[in-house]
Amino acid sequence: MASGGILKQPLLWFAIIGLLLFIADSQLSNNRSEIIIDAALRDRLGTLWTTQTGLIASEAELDALTESWLREEVMYQEALRLGLDQEDSIVRRRLVQKLGFIAESEPLPDPEIADLEYFYQENIEDYTLPLRYSFQQKYFQAMDAAENALAQIIGGMPAENVGETSMLNQSYAYRSALDLNATFGAGFADRIANLSNGIWDGPIQSGFGYHLIFISAIHPEQVTPLQAIPEQVLQDFQRARQLQARDSYIDNLLDEYEIIMETQ
Amino acid sequence: MPRLTPLISALTLLFIVEGCSDNGTPALTEATPEETSATAASNETASTPRTAGFSAARNAYFGDLHVHTMYSFDAFIFGTTSSPDDAYEFAKGGMITHPAGFDMQLQVPLDFYGVTDHATYIGVLRAMADPGSPVSQHPVAEGMDRLGGALERGAKFQEILAFLLTPEAAEVNDPAIRRSAWADIIAAANRHNDPGNFTAFIGYEYTARAPDRGNLHRNVIFRGDSAPDLPLSRTDTMNPEDLWDWMDANREQGFESLAIPHNSNGSNGHMFALTDMSGRPLDDAYSDQRMRNEPLVEITQVKGTSDTHPALSPNDEWADFEIMPLRIASTLYSEPNGSYVRQAFLNGLKLQAEQGFNPFKFGVIGSSDSHNATYAGEEHDYWSKVGLRDSNGILRGSVPTPEPSATGERYVDTYFDTWSAAGLAGVWAEENTRESIYDAFRRKETFGTSGTRMKVRFFGGYNLPDVDDANMLENAYAGGVPMGGDLIGATGQAPSFIAWIAKDPNSAALERLQIIKGWVENGETREEVYDVACSGGPVDPETHRCPDNGARVDISDCSITDGVGTAELRASWQDPDFNPDQHAFYYVRGLENPTCRWSTWDAIRAGVEPHPDLYPTIQERVWSSPIWVTPAQ
Repeated sequence: MASGGILKQPLLWFAIIGLLLFIADSQLSNNRSEIIIDAALRDRLGTLWTTQTGLIASEAELDALTESWLREEVMYQEALRLGLDQEDSIVRRRLVQKLGFIAESEPLPDPEIADLEYFYQENIEDYTLPLRYSFQQKYFQAMDAAENALAQIIGGMPAENVGETSMLNQSYAYRSALDLNATFGAGFADRIANLSNGIWDGPIQSGFGYHLIFISAIHPEQVTPLQAIPEQVLQDFQRARQLQARDSYIDNLLDEYEIIMETQ
Repeated sequence: MPRLTPLISALTLLFIVEGCSDNGTPALTEATPEETSATAASNETASTPRTAGFSAARNAYFGDLHVHTMYSFDAFIFGTTSSPDDAYEFAKGGMITHPAGFDMQLQVPLDFYGVTDHATYIGVLRAMADPGSPVSQHPVAEGMDRLGGALERGAKFQEILAFLLTPEAAEVNDPAIRRSAWADIIAAANRHNDPGNFTAFIGYEYTARAPDRGNLHRNVIFRGDSAPDLPLSRTDTMNPEDLWDWMDANREQGFESLAIPHNSNGSNGHMFALTDMSGRPLDDAYSDQRMRNEPLVEITQVKGTSDTHPALSPNDEWADFEIMPLRIASTLYSEPNGSYVRQAFLNGLKLQAEQGFNPFKFGVIGSSDSHNATYAGEEHDYWSKVGLRDSNGILRGSVPTPEPSATGERYVDTYFDTWSAAGLAGVWAEENTRESIYDAFRRKETFGTSGTRMKVRFFGGYNLPDVDDANMLENAYAGGVPMGGDLIGATGQAPSFIAWIAKDPNSAALERLQIIKGWVENGETREEVYDVACSGGPVDPETHRCPDNGARVDISDCSITDGVGTAELRASWQDPDFNPDQHAFYYVRGLENPTCRWSTWDAIRAGVEPHPDLYPTIQERVWSSPIWVTPAQ
């Protein structure tokens, strides 16, 4: 904050500008550098003005913009000449960021269908529905009540006659391990995996109490075909490519340099 | 995206050809007979096919409708670089790294989610750090690309905040930047919306405030897949009534939306003031417009709970819950009067009784207000709200500083310790789609929780089934109204209520079930809390209180008493003090057994005693939207 305060002192700025102009003048008197002001520059300044204000710059405004650009440019050129950009962490960080933006915004060609198919196969687990269960359940607060009910069902009692009221559904269809743990609490999916198919089995514990379970179907993993989700695969493909492009850009740069590790 | 279209078409065409030579394609949306059979006779819009989870008796869905990403001016300074896409991925179960370096992932993914970045300067602060953007050249952008630790970020935030309040702020408020950020937010929501599995709402935060810094913030949530060109922001107008005009005008254009006020607790009495923004008494037209645009209110979030305040509800033993006493983004005290939801419900009844309109007839939700593109986390794993500024126990005042301060203080001077690992929105909706969930918002068939996934059902009516009825839900919908609904009092008769709560399967057991009643008697507003079902024995009919169920927390390790409390509590209930001539509302509050507060978990992890000035435990809770009872005449 303190440095920001000093930088906002107009007197200091005048002093710096004065000094720079003095140096510039003495240096350029024999070998003057050129600063070119052309129509393209004025166009650029005008466009920038329009983006910032939403207004079209008048001729007078363009003159003023050009004048202030010139004053800034001469300082910029001089600062470069004096090497003020060296060892400056802000400049360093900005240049790196800027190059990063360029590397990422390189336009990527549309992929061939074969590329997309290859990518899809390579990442097939992202496009696969997990194993899921369809089942009925009976809820009990207490373990022994659940065990007694199971004994009754085995003894011939219809299942609809047992179980305690709860906010849970009586049946669930197509539930993955993630769904089961979300509905019944952590660990429930592991417990249901140990139960038999097609009979009332259990009890198994949940975050609510105990459950008798009748698994009516186990649906194996199911791959979603590429033709059902071409846009999603294409998006994933392009995102992956963009990250790849950035990495290989840096790798290529690294190849141009000799990296010397100095060890003690 | 347009340039991709030919490729997609080519792909689709190719596969259609392949598909024909093949044996057809596997059906991805197989019917789920058990669930669709529950739909009974449905006269819903038949135009859109139902998704697999459809239930006419409605499912509970949980979500967060208040999340900030890198496009929010403050979140970006706090270190958040995660995008709306990252945030939606997170809500679906993905992982995001906190700016402080730890990973954030939900144990159970959310069903719906809304990114709500601040409309004001949306995307602008991020652009300041992008050297390719013109605003990065602005003096106030100085240092934005190398923000340091918590203190520097706090200082830069204050500096930017001060700058943004000056006329010069217009110099950085580039509409092109804002348009591009807003377009990306809309596109991200549309990319992640997945009917039947996950609902992504388009939304944003309107961040107005009163001249005394009283908070007037609202989140605006859109129903559909498109939204106006730019969101209306506080730089356009500081008057929420202008926001409603804007929403009304957009509704005419086909952009249906609703606004959800939040942090009324920090409004210094402005959020539920009994005058409009120009100081005139409220009237019918004000009430109509507010209710048309604001059917819901956020009752809890990280910056405290706005149900009620001990000063407003002195006879409610549970009123002192996660109270955040300050105006938002300030250290000024916020006046409770006019700042809390229950009192607004009461004042609304009084206006209804005396003048025939009620501008405060809200349903309730909770949400987080996370500025980390995620969620608040849980008590035992609180992730902070404002990025690097409150990312550890020392910064948020739950753990002592390594050395006492010059004045001998052991803890940092912060209001972050009044914040809360809180806030989820619950709805009862037929299916997990934008339309179904949004319609539940409109019906106010919504509830809020302090962070755990408790569920609450609530019905009122004159023809309700027995609470143990085998077709209870179907009959309750047929014979009464659910939460958020209205009952016209039958002459002389007390209506019945069914209240029902279920625990979060991954959290503590339930302690008690309560119905909170508010009414107007001889021109005075009154309230009463009735315990209606208890885990520890029957309700005392004199005091309307449950016996102590014996649940305790061991503060040394946060372990809780085993085998105490229940998985569910439910009750059929009639108001013993019902008066058919009075206007009244009823809502449910369900309480978990006590558990450790986040500050206690922080202290345990740091190996220190919990902060002596903070509550060591909390009772997580769920609030339903009210049912309003209006006298027959």
